Amino acid sequence: MKRRDFLKVGSASVASTVFGSVGLLSWAPRAYAQTITKTFYITEGYQTLITGEDVYFRGFSDANGMVNVPGESLIVQEGDTIEITVVNTLSTTHSFVIDGLVDSGPIASNQTKTITFEASKAGTYLYYDKMNAPYNRLVGLHGGFAVMPSGLSNQLYPGSPTFVQQYFWIFNDIDPVWHNAISNNQTPKTAYEPRYFTINGLGARPPGAPGSHDPNIDAMVDTRTALHGQIGDRTLVRILNPGLASQSVHTHGNHMEWLTENGNIRPDIWKKDCIYLDGDMGSLDVIYPFEVPPDSYPPATTGTYPMHLHTEMSQTAGGGFYMFGALTDIYFE
Amino acid sequence: MGMRNRNGGGGGGGGGGTSGACYVYPDSPATPGIVTPDVTFDRGIYMNGSMTMDDGNSVRIWGFTDGSGGGGMGGNSFPSPAIRVTAGQIVHSRLNVQGMMWVHTMHHHGIEPADHADGVGHITWDVDGVYTYQWRPMHPGSYFYHCHTNTVLHAEMGMYGALIVDPPEGPGTLLSGGPTYDVEAFWVVDEIDSSWHNLRWDAGTCGADAGLNTLNPDYFIITGVDGSGTSAMNREPISATVQVGQKLLGRYICAGYHPQKINFGGLTGKVYISDGRPLPNPIEVTELRACSAERYDIIFEPTEPGEYIISTDIIHWITGEVLGTAKTNVIVTA
Ligand SMILES: [Cu+2]
Ligand SMILES: [Cu+2]
Repeated sequence: MKRRDFLKVGSASVASTVFGSVGLLSWAPRAYAQTITKTFYITEGYQTLITGEDVYFRGFSDANGMVNVPGESLIVQEGDTIEITVVNTLSTTHSFVIDGLVDSGPIASNQTKTITFEASKAGTYLYYDKMNAPYNRLVGLHGGFAVMPSGLSNQLYPGSPTFVQQYFWIFNDIDPVWHNAISNNQTPKTAYEPRYFTINGLGARPPGAPGSHDPNIDAMVDTRTALHGQIGDRTLVRILNPGLASQSVHTHGNHMEWLTENGNIRPDIWKKDCIYLDGDMGSLDVIYPFEVPPDSYPPATTGTYPMHLHTEMSQTAGGGFYMFGALTDIYFE
Repeated sequence: MGMRNRNGGGGGGGGGGTSGACYVYPDSPATPGIVTPDVTFDRGIYMNGSMTMDDGNSVRIWGFTDGSGGGGMGGNSFPSPAIRVTAGQIVHSRLNVQGMMWVHTMHHHGIEPADHADGVGHITWDVDGVYTYQWRPMHPGSYFYHCHTNTVLHAEMGMYGALIVDPPEGPGTLLSGGPTYDVEAFWVVDEIDSSWHNLRWDAGTCGADAGLNTLNPDYFIITGVDGSGTSAMNREPISATVQVGQKLLGRYICAGYHPQKINFGGLTGKVYISDGRPLPNPIEVTELRACSAERYDIIFEPTEPGEYIISTDIIHWITGEVLGTAKTNVIVTA
C-alpha cells in the first residue's frame, strides 16, 4: 500500500474533460505535414461506479491531478511528426505504445520521456501501456489514435467510402478485483470476471437514473460517444477494444458499413447490424450512414435508436442494472 | 420521445409485480401513422414454459404465444412462433401484455423501423397492454425477434422467434434475381445458463447483483432442442434431407450471447446474405464464426450422398474456451 495519498476523483472528473465528437489534437486536411505535440500525465485515482463501488484506475491524463480513462483521442495526418511527452507521476514503470508506429520502452517512476515518431500509415490505432500487459492497459492506460490519409478529410483510406464526421467507441471491461490487485502492484490471481462495461470510459444511465442525460456521466449522451446526425450525415466510427471480452457491436436504425477488422481493410464492404469485435485489442472501422431507417413506415427521418453490445452481459453493471453498461444512443435529428 | 422520464428510477407503475422494477417505462400508446396492414401477427406472452433437456432436467422458458390470449393459450412453443413476411408488405406485430405483473417488448432484430416500432424500452416504452408495431421489411433474409425489456435476462430466457423476410417470389427464392432453394433448415443456436432461469422478470433492474454479468451455460441448444446429443438429429426443419442436385438453404442465427463457430461437417456452402443484406460477392465456407445475433443465409448444393453433422461450438467470450456444442445433421441422398 504505497502512494495512497493521491486524489479521489469523482466520476465526473474521471471522464475526459475534452468534449466534442473527438478530442481533436489536429484535424484539418493539409497539403503539408506538421509537427504535433501532446503531453500525457500517467495518473491514478478512484472512480465511484453506479453501484457505489469505488474502483481504481490509471490514465493517460491531460494534467496531474486528474484521471482520464480513456486518454484523449488524437487525430493526426499521415506524414505528421508526433512528439508525445509522457510524465509518469506514479511509483510504477509504464510505457506508451502504438503497435506499428512507436514504443517508448520503459518510463520509470517520476520520469518524463519525450518520444518522436512519424504517423506513417493511415488508420485507427490504440495507444496504450504495454508494460505488465494486459493489466496496465485494462486499468485505463489506453486511448484512441487516428491517422487520416494525407490531405483527405472524408476517407478512412484513399478510395474508402466517405464520411462527414468521425467518432471513437473505445470499449473496456472491468473486474474490480483485478483493479484492486493492480493498485497494490500485485498480479491478479483470480479468474477474470468483469462486473462493469464501458464505452469511452462510461456506462449508460437510462432515463430516471442518477446522472441520466449528464454528458459527463451518461454514455447515452456523452458527446464523444452518442452519434448525432441528419439524414445523409455519414459517420465513421473507430471501434477499439482494450478490454478482454469479445463483443458483438450492434446498431439499431441503420446497418453499419464494415470497412476494417483489426487494422485490415475488408475485401468487400458488408452491411451488418452485428459485427464481431475481438477481445484483447480487437478493432473495427465502420460507417453509420444515417439513412432513412429502411423498414420504417411511414418513412422516418428523425428518431432515436440505441447502439448496444449484443453480448448482453456487457449491458449490466455489478451483476444487474440492465442498461448501465456499454451502450449509447444514436440521434437522427 | 415523450415517455423518457415517465417511470424511470422509481417503481414501474402498472400493478402487481411491476412495483419492484426499476428503469422500465410501461405504456401502450396509439401507433403513430397507423395504416391498414397487409399482414398482422398477434403475440402474447408466456412465462411458465419449460424445456426438458436430454439429461431429464427441466428448465423454465419464457416466450411469445401466437394469438392475443396471452397466458399460454395455444401452446408455449420454443422458439416462439416464427414471423414470415414478404418484402414490401406493411406488417403489424400486435403485442398483448396483459399479465399486470410484468412488461415486455418486441424488437424485430435487424429490421430498422421508426423508433416507436423498434421495441426498445428506454427510448420508447415497455408494453403494458396492447401495442402495435408497424413496419415494412425491405430486405429479404433471416432475422429474429426478441424481447428488449431487461434484455440480458429476457432473451436468455427464450423470448425470441425466427423472423424471415422472403422476396416477392416467396419461399424457395432467397433473393429476387438470385439463388433459389429446395429445402430449408433453421439453425438457431443458443446457450442456456440454468442458474438464470429461476429469476424474476425484473431481476437486477434496481441494482441487485443478479449475476447477469456472467453467463455460465450448462445447456447448448439448437432451434429449441438440446443439441448436445442426438435430439436435434433427423428432426426437420432443424435437420434436413436433400437429394443430390437439390439446394439446401441453411438459416443460421446466433441466438446466444457467447460467440459461436458453426462447422458444416464436410459440406461447402455459399453465403449470399448476412444480417439481411446481400454480400457484394458471396463467399464459400466450410465453417463460420459468429457473434451474438449475427445471421448467415447459406446455400449448399451437396454432390456426395451421406450424413453431414452440422455442429456449432459455443465459445467463452473472454477465455475462448469451447463451452459446449450443439449438433444437427443433413442427410444427402442419391
Ligand atoms: Cu421480455
Ligand atoms: Cu437483438
